[in-house]
Amino acid sequence: MKNLITAALAATLLLGTSLSASALERGGTLTYGRYADSLFLDPVLNDANVDIWILSNLYDTLLLPTDDGKGVQPGLASEYKMSADNTSVILTLRDGIKFSDGSPITPADVAWSLKRASKKDNGIWGFMIESIDDVTTEGDKTVTIKLKHPDPAILAALTVFNTGIMPQKAFEASAGATEAEKAKSFGEHPVGSGAFVLKSWDRGSSLKLVRNEYYWGKGEDGKALPYLDGIDFELIPDDATRILKLNSGELDGAELIPYSRVAELKSAANLDMQLFPSTRVQYLTMNVRPQVGGKDNPLANPKVRQAMNYAINKPAIIQIVTHGVGTQQTSYMSTATPLHTGDKPLYPYDIAKAKALMKEAGFEKGFSTSILVLAGNQDQIGISTAVQQMWSQLGIKLDLQQVDNPTLTKQYRDGTFLMRNAAWTDDIADPSEITSYFVNSKTIEALHSGWKSEEADALFEASQKEMDPKKRAEQYAKMQEIYNSTGPTVPLFETPYPVALNKRVHGFLQIPLGNNIFAKTWKDK
Amino acid sequence: MPLFSFVIRRLLQMIPTVIFILVVTFVLVRMLPGDPASAMLGDRARDADVNRINHELGLDQPLIVQFFYFAERVVTGDLGNSIGLKVSVASLIADRLPVTLMLTVMSAVIALVLSVPLAFVAAMKREKLADSVIRGTFQVGLSMPVFYVGIILLTVFAAQWKLFPVGGYGTTLPDKLYHLFLPALTLALSFAAVLMRNLRASIINVMNAEYVDFAIAKGLRSRVIMIKHILRNALISTVTLFGLQIGTLFGGAVITETVFAVPGAGRLLIDSIYGRDYPVLQGLTISLAVLVSLTFLVTDILQAWLDPRIAR
Repeated sequence: MKNLITAALAATLLLGTSLSASALERGGTLTYGRYADSLFLDPVLNDANVDIWILSNLYDTLLLPTDDGKGVQPGLASEYKMSADNTSVILTLRDGIKFSDGSPITPADVAWSLKRASKKDNGIWGFMIESIDDVTTEGDKTVTIKLKHPDPAILAALTVFNTGIMPQKAFEASAGATEAEKAKSFGEHPVGSGAFVLKSWDRGSSLKLVRNEYYWGKGEDGKALPYLDGIDFELIPDDATRILKLNSGELDGAELIPYSRVAELKSAANLDMQLFPSTRVQYLTMNVRPQVGGKDNPLANPKVRQAMNYAINKPAIIQIVTHGVGTQQTSYMSTATPLHTGDKPLYPYDIAKAKALMKEAGFEKGFSTSILVLAGNQDQIGISTAVQQMWSQLGIKLDLQQVDNPTLTKQYRDGTFLMRNAAWTDDIADPSEITSYFVNSKTIEALHSGWKSEEADALFEASQKEMDPKKRAEQYAKMQEIYNSTGPTVPLFETPYPVALNKRVHGFLQIPLGNNIFAKTWKDK
Repeated sequence: MPLFSFVIRRLLQMIPTVIFILVVTFVLVRMLPGDPASAMLGDRARDADVNRINHELGLDQPLIVQFFYFAERVVTGDLGNSIGLKVSVASLIADRLPVTLMLTVMSAVIALVLSVPLAFVAAMKREKLADSVIRGTFQVGLSMPVFYVGIILLTVFAAQWKLFPVGGYGTTLPDKLYHLFLPALTLALSFAAVLMRNLRASIINVMNAEYVDFAIAKGLRSRVIMIKHILRNALISTVTLFGLQIGTLFGGAVITETVFAVPGAGRLLIDSIYGRDYPVLQGLTISLAVLVSLTFLVTDILQAWLDPRIAR
């Protein structure tokens, strides 16, 4: 009897396995609607999200971020380890890895790619691998990255798009006299190491990728990834049109669905409305310089900033702007960022406390100030209008100034703004990137706010070389405590990435760092 | 012969216009707050990167030096490279402008096909039901924003009835015309409304003229009166309006191209403004200025043909 049950169970399991295996279908082309076109497909010299979120499909990295965006896993390198003194990373390349033109990926290509990416003034992403001093090779599989100093974020940095591995010979053979010119011509017809390769690029209209026959990844069926034959990215800037195209079945997927449409698409029979966890935080930045434009600036007073934080009903804003999709922030960094601390929402709504703080600060009757709003951005207009009403209870008169992006950026960089709307997404599975911009005064003066904490600066500098995970976590806990209580921001909410897919699409993933992963995506025929 | 010298005169007049636009565009784009490097790198730009890129682009040179460098290149036909897209501006314009031109021409044709016969009917049936219905319908078209009309047409004709594709741009010429029909119709509706109202008023005006009474008295056939006497004279002001509206049509194309995901010059223009992509912005403005000037020239020639007194 026992044997019979075991046999029956085994048969069921086998049947189940074979069913799930047969469910997976290879082939076909996925059409995916994007809000903006790519600009420049060079992993080192690009500078926009529209590129970096798809670059990982074209250029593979030595290590890959885990699906939760918090850790690392093997990529082109099957093994990796730090040296005993933490001043080198030793990596072993996978056997038989090849570029999309069939040529082998050699340690020399890896060394050249990393040196190019870490070269000073070569692109804007070099700061993430500024610790790289030299890259050496040994035999046909070993690469050693020598560091200027121990760097706790180096493994995470090796998953970031700018460390994508490129073929040295093909790049150098590209047309052009300078590196920038070569990058331009190479970027038009790249030879890559990722799961897909560029087939055609009709600027402003579509970008077509086809599967890289030589990609190393293996699927559930034991055969080479990717499952799809190709991806057609269609450029559809208008949200409503992108959704119409998705509804009509002309698209298999579409990114950046407005929050106001999420509930509607969730109930659509043919669609799978996904909300992928992200590292995206939405916040307001305050200029804390005592004087701005020759006038006294009340935002310089930490008590005023705290009062303004307490006066905001964040759940209400989350409902108004994200239609309930967002969640309250518990630190300046998202909960998906490694070493995040805090389990309670920051500054719970407390108008009495806010008024008391305003009184203590000597601003019982309030004051006038202004906020920069990106013209036409519905989220920012919604947020700013809501906080305008909420702060009016403190006697604060808030002037909404709608400007275009370059104007906003100029005032921001010049430090002439008073407040602005902003959002942030991590590019690396480490808290150092967001912290360098938000907290460290030496990067961009703490979001150009003029805020400075000697203690936080010292902690950040120490954390950049701290190899003891426990000590580093303590340093980050302290930095978060300082910044969250006295910092120059109004943390508002975290939001997921809203992606709508046709129900025939499976296995698509957008990780918290934003990367769109199509390698394991497949669709029913 | 007067027509020929008239055309030459008009062509020569275009030269200072284009030079003026060249200077104004150059100055205006640089008066916009922000710079290309900051616009490109966004919030995370570090001073060193912004300064390095602006230096590489020569934007740290005195304005007058930049202008002469720019003017020198324009004279040799070189519009430079796009800062954001890193391809030549000439190739971008060659790629995108024909799309917008096709869209504009298609919408102009649709607008004419709609407005001319209906203006006649409305004028003939003045103050009657047909007139009210035609004018009322066009009024609705005129008062609705272009993006709204676009979304309605897309929802009904493309998404629900599946008669047309939901935006995008085809590959072959028939496919492209098929893709462009709805955006062209969107643009044409408000354009047709303006033309129809003007033409109707002109026809009514001309119908009351003494020479029309005289033509009727002469016993001419009504078709001859209609085409030779009424339409020809009524069209003069409509042709002027048509020429002036072409500029507006280019403006409308910016929104329509976004809603219908058409890769035209309008969208490129908007992107280059937001990106402070000076070379693209300058190149496109000059190209559009030349195009609009040429349209005015054609309008003038048409007017001169309709009324030879103008060419004198």
